[in-house]
Amino acid sequence: MAADPFHLAWFTPFKTPAWKSPWAADTPLTWLNGEYYMDMARSLERAGFDFMMFEDSTLVSDTYGGSTENDLKHGLHSPKGDPVPLLPMLAQVTQHMGFIATMSTSFYPPFLVARVMATMDHLTKGRVGWNVVTSSEDLAGQNYGLDHLLPHDERYEMADEFITVVKDLWDSWEPGAIVADRETGYLADHTKVHPIHHEGKYFKVRGPLNLPAGPQGHPVICQAGGSPKGRDFASRHANVLLSAPKGVDQMREYRDDIRARAVGHGRAADDVKVMYIVQPVLGETQADAEEIARRRNELTQDQIETILGIMSITTEVDFKQFDLDAPLPDDVTTNGHQSGLEQFRKRTQGKTIREALMGQQTEAVELVGTPASVAAQMDEVMEAVGGDGFLIRGEPVRTHSRRYIDEIASGLAPELRKRGLIRSDYPESTFKANLAAF
Amino acid sequence: MTASPFHLGWFCNGTSVPAWAQPFSGSIGDDWQDAQIFVDLARAMERAKFDYVLIEDNTFVGDRYGDSMEVYLKYAMQAPRQDPMIVATLLAQATERLGIVATAGTFAYHPYLLARMAGTLDQLSKGRFGVNVVTGTSDRALQNYGHDGMDEHDSRYDVAEDFVRAMTALFDTWEPGAVVADRRTATFADHTKVRYADHRGSHFSTRGPLNSGPSPQGRPVISQAGGSPRGIAFAAQHADTIVAIHSSPEKARDYRDRVRDAAAAAGRDPDDVKVLFGVWPIVGSSEAEARQRADERVQLAMDNIDIPLATMSKSTDIDFSTVPLDTPLGELDLATNGTQNFALYRDRNATLTLRQAVAKEAGGAGPSLVGSVEQVADQLEAFADVSGGDGFLIGTNGVTRRFIAEVCDGLVPELQARGLTRTEYDHEHLRDNLRAF
Repeated sequence: MAADPFHLAWFTPFKTPAWKSPWAADTPLTWLNGEYYMDMARSLERAGFDFMMFEDSTLVSDTYGGSTENDLKHGLHSPKGDPVPLLPMLAQVTQHMGFIATMSTSFYPPFLVARVMATMDHLTKGRVGWNVVTSSEDLAGQNYGLDHLLPHDERYEMADEFITVVKDLWDSWEPGAIVADRETGYLADHTKVHPIHHEGKYFKVRGPLNLPAGPQGHPVICQAGGSPKGRDFASRHANVLLSAPKGVDQMREYRDDIRARAVGHGRAADDVKVMYIVQPVLGETQADAEEIARRRNELTQDQIETILGIMSITTEVDFKQFDLDAPLPDDVTTNGHQSGLEQFRKRTQGKTIREALMGQQTEAVELVGTPASVAAQMDEVMEAVGGDGFLIRGEPVRTHSRRYIDEIASGLAPELRKRGLIRSDYPESTFKANLAAF
Repeated sequence: MTASPFHLGWFCNGTSVPAWAQPFSGSIGDDWQDAQIFVDLARAMERAKFDYVLIEDNTFVGDRYGDSMEVYLKYAMQAPRQDPMIVATLLAQATERLGIVATAGTFAYHPYLLARMAGTLDQLSKGRFGVNVVTGTSDRALQNYGHDGMDEHDSRYDVAEDFVRAMTALFDTWEPGAVVADRRTATFADHTKVRYADHRGSHFSTRGPLNSGPSPQGRPVISQAGGSPRGIAFAAQHADTIVAIHSSPEKARDYRDRVRDAAAAAGRDPDDVKVLFGVWPIVGSSEAEARQRADERVQLAMDNIDIPLATMSKSTDIDFSTVPLDTPLGELDLATNGTQNFALYRDRNATLTLRQAVAKEAGGAGPSLVGSVEQVADQLEAFADVSGGDGFLIGTNGVTRRFIAEVCDGLVPELQARGLTRTEYDHEHLRDNLRAF
């Protein structure tokens, strides 16, 4: 018996595609003109994806070894373009798919986020979402004049107030406020537009927003909370969650917990779609795919610098200082990305750092095989977990290429569709409605 | 005598649609939110070889006039208005050579956020982006961003000064050639060519480097509209192009001379600062038709005097619904911490009543440009001859596709035939095109 239909999305930064891939062509020097991502959007819409989600960060990191060298040499987290201006371009070359951009509650004023999102929602006719992040790096904060970010849990309190303000701004124009009535000479009815006069612990905002909300009203809210505070926040506000718990049992536990919390907040459990990050490895035969996966998992020096470099960026702990052939010291803590560090610590129990890296797995489940066999694996996983879909991630340094996109779009997606597991059309006009349709 | 060739820009009054109820405005009152009229505008500008389109902005719904949002919302006056950065991406995508300049308030962004947004737009547009830096003209805008109101006028420029320095430091964090993408050495970017901004100024601090990487122009173009002495000093130091509005070519020349002197005093080549004068022409198929429309414009302002008055209220925080209409302006106490252009307005109209001043300036504060295609071209040429300026920013209160066609398919071909405006783009980048002559 097959799983119920599930959602498919892609998780990516607005960064160079895998510049070390043999299929990179000239993209390492040209990706910032957006054309690669426009091609990608067209391909994924053809494949029936629900949305593309652009994660983001806003720093060039020098945590690893006290130098920017590792971040820049490998192109790990930088350079990275701002996804917000890219989104309308992607929407122009597509008709149905949704697009999510990341904006941080630590760095944007709420009015600006409300206005940018409402504008994009209009321009795309209801196809955008906001990935709410609180940011996890002090080094990013220092780009915005902050010496330190707020403590982890307080960042979520601030985010909670932030998102409340943003929603109030979207609601500051009642439906029907724009009448465009030539007879009476009123474009907008001022009795239906209201200041919000918000004065809270963190923000003071007068309002109203200077344009009405777009077709979705509140655009799709996306979140990635893994910590208890993060889970609570996400289940209260998000329409879609991205996550990477390891293995089917943890995936199911996570989803059940989020759904229960959502109900606790007075929402329907189905209002929150939990999506899992995966990185399918596809080959013409099972043996091909396994060979690709084997090479991908080889722990070269390059790969060590990549993995530990990324860990260093998000946790702000310098992993270069540790002996690779000893366990992770017990006294390492972070005010940055907490679930990331905790997961790594779990993996290192009784192991050296090098041994732990060999079992490194960033995705929820490993998917390796032919398009047909991977589709069958995804089917099984979804049946066991209960929903709600997968976020494909092309490993950014070595895999993300037009060729990999096509393996997914022209190989895997048709197999999934043949089994009735993903959508064959977009019956609703907005991203949010398509997401809620199943 | 023929004036030297000059530049053309378009002054786009935000993305709002005050012309929504006019006879030739199509259905923009219903479909304004897809911004397609502005996309069409950009395509037309490019066809007519404009250097750039400037998207003006302010980020609040007015309510100063009569202490109500009614007039602003009823007439679609600067509201609703979409975010100019987002609209800019559509314009960039629809064009290949036109410069796109979007407005940003120094109160609404941290310099890092704006540097990254502008840097990304410069990349996406392949070097055609600029930022019009404004300091705000109303307490209301600031109140949307957590402030009680504006600082005193000149100290707003101190903030702007620090803001632009921080942003510039961020743009300069990537040396040319930092991105090598060299597979043989497995090096994407050379970290020795990427440095910290480490800016700690009077109002902003930022560490950097900018994580969006190098932008094609190095620093996106900076536009400004400083009219006051402090504003001129700021613009002369930082701007690549300046918007200025003067009714007489002599005053325009005087203003430009002051900008150029200030630029030289700041150690810049005055030719690197292009002063474009704002104009609101009425181009008809005949002189009589144009005159008729100019008269109607005055009549419309008189019949709906709350529209021009509310516009002034929005940028001055003065409630003009309480100001007597028939007392000479010179006898009234009208001070503002908002735009200093209002001080100029008050001074040049000191002997007129508010009603008379509104009638006189119904066509905008720029020179009177009314007539057939040939006549308006003559008028622009004569103005440029005396003002010596670098060109014009064309605008209208309430853009329609018809007005765009009148300018781009009527006036500009005539200017081109006279050798007054460009017939092709010399360069890929906006700044290079601005400096081409």
